[in-house]
Amino acid sequence: METLYQIFADPFVQIVSAPDFFLQVLWEGLVSGVLYALIALGFVLIFKSSRIFNFAQGIMVVFAALTLVGLHENGVPAWLAVPLTLGVMYLLALSVERVVLRPLVGQPDIILFMASIGVTMFLIGFGEFVFGGENKAMITAELGIPTGSIEFFPFGGFVLIEQKDLTAVIMAVLLVLCLLLFLNKTAMGRAIRALGDDHQAALSVGISLSKIWVLVWFIAGVIALATGIVWGARAGVSFALEVIAYKALPVLMLGGLESVSGAIIGGIAIGLLEKIFEIYWGQPLFGGNTETWFAFILALIVLLFRPQGLFGERIIERV
Amino acid sequence: MFYRVSGQFKTSYESDMALFPVKQDAILLAFILALFYVAFPMMASEFTYKALLVPVLIYALAAMGLNILTGYAGQLSLGTAGFMGVGAYACYKITSIFPEVNIVVALLLSGCFSAAVGVAFGLPSLRIKGFYLAIATLAAQFFLVWLFEKWAWLYNFNASGAIEVKGHEFFGLVITGPNAAPITQYYFVLVCVTVVSFAMINITRGRFGRVWKAVRDMDIAAELVGINLMRAKLSAFAVSSYVVGIAGALLVFFWKGAAEPNLFDIPLSFKVLFIAIIGGLGSIIGNFLGALLIVALPVLLNLLPGVLGLEINSATLEHINVMIVGALIVFFLIVEPHGLARLWALIREKLIIWPFPH
Amino acid sequence: MSVIEKAADITASSIGLQKAEERETLLDLANVSLSFGGVKAINNISFDIKRGEVRAIIGPNGAGKTSMLNVINGFYQPQEGVITFRGSQRRSMKPHLAVSHGIARTFQNVALFKGMSTLDNIMAGRTTRMKRNMFWQILYYGPAQREEIAHRRKVEEIIDFLEIAHIRSTPVGKLPYGLQKRVELARALAMEPDLLLLDEPMAGMNLEEKEDMSRFIIDVNEQLGTTIALIEHDIGVVMDLSDRVVVLDYGRKIADGSPEEVQKNQDVIDAYLGVSH
Repeated sequence: METLYQIFADPFVQIVSAPDFFLQVLWEGLVSGVLYALIALGFVLIFKSSRIFNFAQGIMVVFAALTLVGLHENGVPAWLAVPLTLGVMYLLALSVERVVLRPLVGQPDIILFMASIGVTMFLIGFGEFVFGGENKAMITAELGIPTGSIEFFPFGGFVLIEQKDLTAVIMAVLLVLCLLLFLNKTAMGRAIRALGDDHQAALSVGISLSKIWVLVWFIAGVIALATGIVWGARAGVSFALEVIAYKALPVLMLGGLESVSGAIIGGIAIGLLEKIFEIYWGQPLFGGNTETWFAFILALIVLLFRPQGLFGERIIERV
Repeated sequence: MFYRVSGQFKTSYESDMALFPVKQDAILLAFILALFYVAFPMMASEFTYKALLVPVLIYALAAMGLNILTGYAGQLSLGTAGFMGVGAYACYKITSIFPEVNIVVALLLSGCFSAAVGVAFGLPSLRIKGFYLAIATLAAQFFLVWLFEKWAWLYNFNASGAIEVKGHEFFGLVITGPNAAPITQYYFVLVCVTVVSFAMINITRGRFGRVWKAVRDMDIAAELVGINLMRAKLSAFAVSSYVVGIAGALLVFFWKGAAEPNLFDIPLSFKVLFIAIIGGLGSIIGNFLGALLIVALPVLLNLLPGVLGLEINSATLEHINVMIVGALIVFFLIVEPHGLARLWALIREKLIIWPFPH
Repeated sequence: MSVIEKAADITASSIGLQKAEERETLLDLANVSLSFGGVKAINNISFDIKRGEVRAIIGPNGAGKTSMLNVINGFYQPQEGVITFRGSQRRSMKPHLAVSHGIARTFQNVALFKGMSTLDNIMAGRTTRMKRNMFWQILYYGPAQREEIAHRRKVEEIIDFLEIAHIRSTPVGKLPYGLQKRVELARALAMEPDLLLLDEPMAGMNLEEKEDMSRFIIDVNEQLGTTIALIEHDIGVVMDLSDRVVVLDYGRKIADGSPEEVQKNQDVIDAYLGVSH
């Protein structure tokens, strides 16, 4: 009885009695949701253009952030460190295409997926080897990200919004808008979408596979750097961050592997729901830390009822 | 020359379907078994047991379990470590609730628990395919590790949150805990692994193996030749998790001696997956080759600075090891996506026709 | 079966060929309709297949022929209509049960298990007949091995019958297309079906391969007495092989009868050659 009350009544009583705290929870959830969505977006881009389920996307976030901080630690000023990091991400895209993708073209999906796990491992080892394994602080101030906070007083309560979180959300929205414009309005963007539909057909109209792949992996690298900066500002930079990389996976399950809008909506939904569940159900009932698995179980349950994900098209099986 | 097959004629289906249609293969296996059962124990030090021989066997067993699921039945799983954990915790609970129960019985039973959990998390595979399923198995991974951490009953409410293996006897011989001699533990693990390996070889060359491979290669066609997909997939999950669970129990009881929940975190899953990939998906022997490579690599790397006279701290070595493993995986996928086992098969084919090229 | 008995059997079945109408009905489809969303793939079709005949289903591309086979073996569930097979009625059936009911098929695009050898592919067709459980499989030696050998013997007969002994242990992914089609037929035969559904068994074959395949189909029908439902675009083959033909167009049945009747049918000619309105 006590448990039933805790499951079905108590959380809602708390939400109604402290709406300002609920707003705070929503905001926190939204911010992490936006970041999940960004990582998922990187996955979707690469999957659409090359059918590779790029497990390394999450690690690229950490790697980019680590490179940025590492460069700065070694005396490179912030304004120079950012373009240099972008250069490193471009080199990464180039070498992944040369060393991994090109020799493996035409192999089954699962082989490419495993290769991306290999790349993940390599990046972890390489990153730690070069920059060390300990947690580092993001160079927030040097990059000109405001660090203050804004306070609101709705419902006679109190909500605190960190300015760097706000910056993160604004930056994410801008990034997504640019990306959508690029994909839908430019010739390159059209080529990427064409490649996603059919490799052979795209090749036959003269789209260069390797050029597009480098480009897409570079875009994914840019997204990774942006995500790395804003997430690093919240939690510091180390490979412990890879946990958030895994979070993008249930987002993909929910949103579908190929849907840009699915990644965004799925990311935000998961960010919000897991935070709400953790605060109102997880901590009182299960001893907390439910965020490690909640998103996965949620995605699993949704998929059981809609195997194609929330935004995927219904699959008609043919023989 | 060494692998001359001429003169070996099959006169019955029985002999054609034998485990070793070629006589030399049987000789080779006998040689390897002799190596493990006789030669290694004569040479090995305590360090070799703990750092090389026992881990190779246990990892090979775990990879074999995963191989049943991923290599044979084609269901990609990233949650292996979670199921290993279930086996380990189940064995721990069984031995602490019924201390007088024989350790072999406890091991066999704990496999049943991990098989049951495996089937439960395998249920989504009936609706979800490919990458979506891989992510779904991550749900098992994260949820189970969280459970090991939060459910204090599992670790007998120990203040440390870890499970510690007490000494167990097997017909008067101490085989677990701090007082067990490495050589007895090694032999125990070796016998377990041998028995399970033969069971898996048998099961994969018979009806179940064919059904699993059919589901892997084309599930729709498999259904239309009369294969019940639900049974096929769930049986693969059950057998796979059973073997993986036993490997997990052996890992804690006969190697580590104690375990915290984070031992069963995702890096262990990946390690086992890598062994299966590098060894060769869809092969039993490959798992041993893969395990040998993955386990021996850091050991060798640790020896290297001493040989070269360099001073490198162990953290850096660890990083280099991770880096090399990552590169190796990509390398192997490019050179031979079917792993060391296929490499061996190719060499064997060459040997059969050697010294003539055709 | 002795040679004489076999000969007698063949005579019996060739006598039967002349009187297809008098034979027992094996499969009867009554008013079957199937649609995907708004698209009607099959619209109110009825026809029957008699035991021992070769029944061809023809029609232009997109006429609903493959969907028809998918309905017969339970891969698609029709929204309307009743299917009577061997005297028992059904509307829906789990696809994997088709085999144990005695229906086997081959596919338009070869659907073999590419990573497995020819032998294993055909053995897979025996799956439903193998009964030894996990315990015996793990032991292998003993009952499981005896069962395996018994089925292997049967499979080797089929391999001889279809003349594919030389590719017994080749992975089917490496075989040329024509041979893959033959292995697929072998796998279907391994299921020892009452009704064999062949979906374009000769698509993409050269003349020689077509002749071989035709010979095998006739052999299967006459020597094993298997009833065959055949989809094929090569009209010449259809006319030669089949006892009766049903013609579909846009999901409707437009003709049904002996090859000669169908050939003269005005609707059929219109469907194939087009008609000005």
